[in-house]
Order: sequence, then structure tokens, then C-alpha cells
Amino acid sequence: MSGESTDRATGGLPSMFERYKIPLGLVVLVVALRPLITSEMVLGYNAIASKMLIMMLFVAGFNLLFGYTGLLSFGHAMFLGFGIYIPAILVLNGAWVLPAGGNITFLVGVILALAAVAVYGYLLGTLIVGMGEIYFALLTLAFSQAIYFIVLRNPGELTGGSNGLTQGTLPDFVEQTRGEIAIEAFGLSLDWYWAVAVVFLLGMLALWQIVRSPFGRSLVAVSENEQLARAMGVDTTSYKIWSVTFSGVFSALAGVLLMIQNSGAAIENLSVFTSGDTVLMAVLGGVNYFFGPVVGAFSWLFVEDFLTNFELWQFPLSEVTFVTVDLSDILVYWQFLLGALFVVVVLTAPEEGIWGYIRSVASWLRKRMQQVRA
Amino acid sequence: MSSTLDARTRMQRLLSERSPAALLGALAGVLLLGNAAVQKPGLFIDQAIGGLVYGMILVMISLGLALVLGLMGVVNFAHGALFMLGGYFTYATMASYGLPFWAALLIAPIGVGIVGIVIEVVVLRRLYGKEPIIGLLATFGLTLMIEEAARFVWGASAVQPAKPEFLTGGTDLIVTQVGTYRLFTVAVSTISVAGVYYLITKTDFGLSVRAGVQDGEMTEFVGVNLPLRFTAMFFLGSAIAGLGGALRVVEFGIDPGAAEEFVLLAFVVVVIGGVGSIFGSVLAGLLVGWAQFLVPVVLSALAIVTGVSAINVQGISDIIPFLVMIVVLLIRPRGLFGEEGLLE
Amino acid sequence: MSHANETDEVGHAKSTDRGHDQEPSPIEPAVAPSSAVLGVHEMTRTFGEVLAVDTLSLGIEAGELRAVIGPNGAGKTTLFNCIMGALNPTEGSVYLNGSEITGDAEEQRPHKGMARSFQSNQLFADQTVLENIRLVVQTARQGAFSMDLFRSHYSVGRERAIEIADDVGLTADLDAEAKNLPHGEQRRLGIAMALATDPDVLLLDEPTSGMSPAATAETASLIKEVRDDRGLTVVLIEHDMDVVLSISDRITVLNRGEVIATDSPDAIQGNQAVQDAYLGGMREEI
Repeated sequence: MSGESTDRATGGLPSMFERYKIPLGLVVLVVALRPLITSEMVLGYNAIASKMLIMMLFVAGFNLLFGYTGLLSFGHAMFLGFGIYIPAILVLNGAWVLPAGGNITFLVGVILALAAVAVYGYLLGTLIVGMGEIYFALLTLAFSQAIYFIVLRNPGELTGGSNGLTQGTLPDFVEQTRGEIAIEAFGLSLDWYWAVAVVFLLGMLALWQIVRSPFGRSLVAVSENEQLARAMGVDTTSYKIWSVTFSGVFSALAGVLLMIQNSGAAIENLSVFTSGDTVLMAVLGGVNYFFGPVVGAFSWLFVEDFLTNFELWQFPLSEVTFVTVDLSDILVYWQFLLGALFVVVVLTAPEEGIWGYIRSVASWLRKRMQQVRA
Repeated sequence: MSSTLDARTRMQRLLSERSPAALLGALAGVLLLGNAAVQKPGLFIDQAIGGLVYGMILVMISLGLALVLGLMGVVNFAHGALFMLGGYFTYATMASYGLPFWAALLIAPIGVGIVGIVIEVVVLRRLYGKEPIIGLLATFGLTLMIEEAARFVWGASAVQPAKPEFLTGGTDLIVTQVGTYRLFTVAVSTISVAGVYYLITKTDFGLSVRAGVQDGEMTEFVGVNLPLRFTAMFFLGSAIAGLGGALRVVEFGIDPGAAEEFVLLAFVVVVIGGVGSIFGSVLAGLLVGWAQFLVPVVLSALAIVTGVSAINVQGISDIIPFLVMIVVLLIRPRGLFGEEGLLE
Repeated sequence: MSHANETDEVGHAKSTDRGHDQEPSPIEPAVAPSSAVLGVHEMTRTFGEVLAVDTLSLGIEAGELRAVIGPNGAGKTTLFNCIMGALNPTEGSVYLNGSEITGDAEEQRPHKGMARSFQSNQLFADQTVLENIRLVVQTARQGAFSMDLFRSHYSVGRERAIEIADDVGLTADLDAEAKNLPHGEQRRLGIAMALATDPDVLLLDEPTSGMSPAATAETASLIKEVRDDRGLTVVLIEHDMDVVLSISDRITVLNRGEVIATDSPDAIQGNQAVQDAYLGGMREEI
């Protein structure tokens, strides 16, 4: 939203770097994330990197609705659930003439999931966007809860109820060996991280294109000043409805990846806690920025994993340790500190978050450097 | 505020808007309930009282939520956490300090009220006049903190104090036996809800706060200390939610998840009742409570009569509040007694 | 405009041969609402018990610059909101170029050729001046809703937006965020955005409020200039009587939701009813 640069000639087009820095940043992120995060120094295992990308995509989809359109969804887990459950159910049971477990069955499941979530999002949006933003937040939460309870009830023995679906939900092209997932297709073997990275990049680029398109700018207009947008001839209701629809589709796409990542469907991913975490990640990251959700999801998962797995804090991190602090008693309750941080962020700069903070520090540094040089 | 209107006039107004469809619906409802009462009289009474108990607890939570929302325009997501604290404080008073139930019934609401005051002074005061979404987010963060704190002190699994002895028995109601404690819950909650309702709609205190919402400057000019009265109002809303928690913990126990579960239900109640209407919240709380307990009975009775067992949907009661809300909003987008323009 | 003839003298207007004989408002419009560029016919708007606009009729001629004045609470902004669809009139109708638009959605009206500026600065505050204007140009070109997903927004309406900024003298601030502009320039940005809808009829709500005398004069000549250059019809709510008297063709005076006079600036200055209303209004305020 505030992605426009200020240091350029008046009225002129921004530089090529300015215009394409977001795709560039996404590529750098994908290439650098795994080596960085999975090194022994940091978290030390593989699955976390792909999970991070998946959650980044999910939260970015959420932020199309919240950051860019001004609609807070407190039930975004339901959209994720479409992507998790529909392909899983189809692969497990087969569909019509399609065999269970088949690759085609899976692809049909994915297409069906995205189509279903689009239709659902459109109808839901039509029903509730006109009622004001608080109603929107509460109603998305309520609809999400209703879906949660329906899935929990295991209708037609399809959803597995509280156990979720743990067996036989993966298509043939997904190979699992000792916990590592790989994609086997056309005689090639692709590591799961890179498969996720490809989908992540495509999804994020599509989101970026939406945000920079004339359509996306109209969404921003709606979020910034709805009254003015309407007076200037913007059909705010239609834009909101389509924003819900698109946001739902991207979230469901992340859901498909999450289903493969977790080798099945877990009902926790549909719960109110997942929806709440989504809001937390986006706000902590900074809803005003395209990279806000990326930073938010990264920090969240990093802290969660780092703090709950590492009970000893050693400094420096080397063979010879000078200081060792046992943090196990405190770190289990990291959510308390996170809640406190969240409250502070919301009270001081609700739209800026960590990424906004990093940006302002960076721009301050740049100014200082220029002063020093001058 | 619509609560300035007499409850009876508003009821009449609602009823006078009847349409043939609504009349038909009401008739069908009466028939279904009648059928259930005839088929399973014992279960019906049992569930009706269960629904009443549950509904009154919901009313006690929703009342504070509706107050803060309608009067101060803040969506207090932490209200469920206050209810949960009421349960934990009761448990602590009885199990850890060995005090009697009566003492807990007094200490827990006051303790929760004090927590409420702290929340109001430290966080909510900064939110008056800001976008309601900011308030929702901030109090959501508070909920996480309170939940985590409760988990730290009392653990993640449910706790439950022992029921006081004189309330353990049952009371005979001809067709069925009802736990005395449930009747006690209904009595206490009815008295407290009626008291709060009276305080808000009829006394100078309630009127001055409501006037303050309409015109803060004028009221302060007249010499009413508004911030103090807002805080008092918040204490009241928190304390009654805490009392609800105290009543519930003895019968069902409490766990950290209750915070989010119950704030969601309370929101559903407020939305059904109509934002800005205290009376609407009271009615909607009872409606949701009864719907949740009676719909399964009605369905199973209907299954017996029609012979179609599929009608008897298992576990439907969990989604009943949401179904009721969706239906109400489709028919009346502002809720039963909601006012145009609030929270838009 | 056949009904306009010579009857735009205060008090004589009733002699126009309009076929409405319901409880007439005291002053009939100079131009019949149904045949004017912009017409309001017996509009009433209430807020609860309060009557903000009371069976008001108004007709604005093509190319006219009409000022609407009146004491505080006379119903001027409510009238604008009802004309633009931000509020629904309780009764009565609005006409644009002879066809009724009363029931049209607010967001459709800019696409039919009418635009407004707001009394308080309404802007897309975090966006640049250029983007504020460009968004409106984009909306005017693409309609109220457009699924234009595959281009960059840079390619839509940028040049036009720069031109409009130039017209209102905001060229130097193109890249400034709207919220950082000084008050006077924010008001001019409001006018620029209204112009960006490419309107036939422009409604301006106190365009000079809060401006220095110099900036006020500048804005007044800007308004007259865009009217002359683009052949616009302008309706103007304004408190500054110098502005009103210097640029408007006709003045409509509102009091308590009713039109009490519509006339040329000279005639209005000598009108007894107007003076009573203003003095009365002032007395109430004291």
C-alpha cells in the first residue's frame, strides 16, 4: 500500500527496481530460506522451511482481504480447510470413474476445491460484506465455527471427525521416505521444498499482480476510505465480494500444500485457533505491506519452533559456552509474551508491524548514511 | 440506545411486524415443540431446564459484552476470558483456600471485576473513539494473555471444585428430577440479570453513562465524572460475567479454551439480539440456550413420528447457535432489536 | 429550460405553469426540476423528528454556477448528500438531465455525470496525490466495477491524472502523500478528484473553508475557470460571501430546510427575507 517510492522525479514512473522489487524479493526469499533456516545453527530440520512458505502464502491470501480491502476475517481457517479436505477426501475415496489415490483424482480434487471455495467465498461475501466490518469479523468466525463442527461430526464418514484423515490422502506422485517428501513425476524427482517453492512463487506473484492491477488499487481505495470511494463511483460492495473470493482461493491453495505437507487432514487446521493465529501473524508482520504476512508467518513459526524446542539458551552458540540459561519454564508460555507484544503493536501502530518497523529503521539508516557522506 | 424504549413496546413493535411467513414459522415451531413435549415429556422438561440454565449463563456473559459494545463502541473479545477467570477464581477460592461456596460467589465476581477495571484503564481507554476493529484486535491479544496466564497457574486441563452439599440433591418436578443446583443457577442469574438491567435502564447511573455516550462534553459539563462511570460500567459487565463463570464451574468445570468458546457464543447472542440492545441480548441468550437444548429433542421426536431416522441429526446442538444467527441475520440483518447505523 | 422564462424573481415564481398543486413550497425554483440539468423536486429528509430538508425544489440550468447559502443547520449538506445518493431522501425526487435518478446507487451517479467534493477533507490519506486522482480517473474510465487484473495500474489514467493535477495547481505535490498536504491543498485535491470523474455537474461543499484569504480568492477563480473551460454546471455551498457574490450566477438561500429565495447576487443582497433569515439565525446562535 505504501509501496510507492518517494525518491523519484515528480509524476515520473518509478524505476524498474522499484516496480519489480517484490518479485525479486520473493525469489531471493525462496532461494535463501531453506539453507538459512535448516542450518544446524538455527532450527536444523527440513520440514519447517516448506511449512513456512505455505503459511506465508496463506497469510498473504488473508491479507489481501484485511490489509488491502480493510475486511478482517476472523474465520479464515475455513478457506484453508477447503484446500485441505476436498482433495484429501477425493484421493482417499476416489470420485465417480476416477480411482482412489490417482494423480488425476488429486488434480480434479484441487480444481474442485478451488472452484468450491470461490463459489463459497462469493456467496458468503454477498451475504455479509454489506453489514459493516465488525459484523464481517464475527460472521466469518461464526461460519468458520459452523464448518468446523460439521467436519468434526464426520458426515458420511468422509472427514474423519476429530481424528482427521491420516492415511491414503496423498496422490501417487508424492513419495515419502523417512519423513521426507518428494514429488515423482515424468521420471523426475523434485524435492518437496522446491515443489512448494514453485507453487508459493506462482501464488505470491498472482497476488502481487492483483495488488498492483487497477482492480487491486480499487481494493485499496475501498479500505482507505469507503465513503469517498463510493462517492467517486467505486462499487465498493462488488470489490469487497471479489476480494473475499480471491482471498479464499489463495488460502485454499495453501491448504492443498498443507495437506501434502502434513500427509493428511487435521481438524486443528480448521479451528478458531488457526484463524486467530492468522490474524496474529498478519498484524505482527504488518498488514500495510505486501511482505508483512511473509515476515509475520516467518517470525511466528520461527519463534514457535525455536522457543518450544530449545529449552537451553546458550551464549555464544559455539563449542565453548559461557552462559547457559534454562528457559524451559518460561518459554512454554511464550504465547503470553506474544499476546502482550500483539497488544502493544495494535495500540501503537496497528498497520505497521515488524516489517513496518524494519522499513522505518532502514530508511532512518539510509538518511543517516547520506548525511554522513555529505 | 434502544433500551430507552420500554421493553414491552419493543416486543409489541417486533410482533406487529409479523408476516404470514413468520406466523407460519411460529405455528410450525409450536407444533414441533408440542410434539416433542408429548413424545418425551421427561426429556423435554429436562432439556428445557438445561437450556434455561445454559441460556442464563450466556445472558450473563452477553450482557457485559453488549454493554461495552453498545455504550462504548468497543468490541471486547476478552470478555470470554473474564468469564473463564470467574470460574478459575471460584475454583481457587474453594479448592485452594478452602473457603465456602458462598464466599466464592462473592469473591470471584469482584476479583473478575477488578481484572476488568485493569483492562479498561490500561487498554480499552485508549480505544474509545478508534475504529472498532482495533478494539477487537487488541482485546483478542488480551484474551491470549489471560488464557496463557490461566494455563500457567491452573494447567491446561479442566478443573472443577466440589459442589456445595446443600445443592447436590435433586428436586422433583413430577415428570422428571432436576438438579437443585440448576434451579439455584437459574435463580441467581435471573436476580443478577434483572438487577443489572434495572441499573442500566432505570437508574441515574445508567442514564448518565448513556447520556455520556450521546454527548460526552455536555455530560461532563453537567458534572458527571464520565471516565469513572465508564470504568464502573465495565466493572459491572466484568463482574456479572465472572458470576456466570462461578456458577458454571461448579457444575461443568472450566478450562482455558472456555475463553474463546464463550466469547464467540456471546457474540452470537449479541448479534442475534441486535447490537445496542440490552433487552435483545437477554432474549437472544435464552433463545440460543433453548434452541441448543431443545432442537435435538424436537428432531428426535419428529423422527419417531415420521419414522425417518435421518431427521435425528447427531450432534447438531453445536452448530445451532450459528444456524440461528445466520437465519436471524438473513431475515433481520440488524438482529432482533438492533439499531440502524451501529457498527457500520 | 422553457419554464425558466422571466420568472426567476423571488416571489413571482409561483406564476410558472407547473402542474403541481400539492402544498407548494413557498419559493418555486427558477427552472423546473424535471427540465433542468440538475433538478430536485419536493424533497424532504428527516432525521428522527428533525426535519433537515423540507419539501424543497430546485432547478439548475446548464452551465450555471449556483451558490447555495444559508445559516448553519439550514440543510445544505443534507441536500447535497440526498442529491448524490449518500443519503436517501425521505420523500421527493432528483433529476439529472431530465431523467429521474432518485433510486440510483450512490456509486452510479458519478458515472452519470455528477461529482462532489466533501465539506471535510475526504481523501485516500496514505496514497500520493497522483494516486488519489488516478484512482478516480481509472474508476471513471472503467466503470463502477471492473475486473481489470492483468495490467499494472501505472498504465491506466496516469497522464490524465497529471493533467488534472496541473489544472488545479498540484503539480509540485504529485508524489506527496495526501495526508501530508497542507489543508488548502487537500481541499484542492478534493476538487481535482471530483473533476477526475469528468462530470457535467459539479457539487462543491465549502471548497474554501479554512483557507487564507489569498488561497480563498485563488480557489474561487479556479472554480470559475474550470466552469468556463469545461462548460460545467457548478453547485456550490459556501460561507464566504465574497466568493459567493463574485463568482455565482444565481444564489439559492436555504433556511430550516426550505428555499427562501433564489436570485441573482445583486437581488439577493437586497432581499428582506434573506436578511431576516440570516439575522434570525445569528440571534439563535447567540
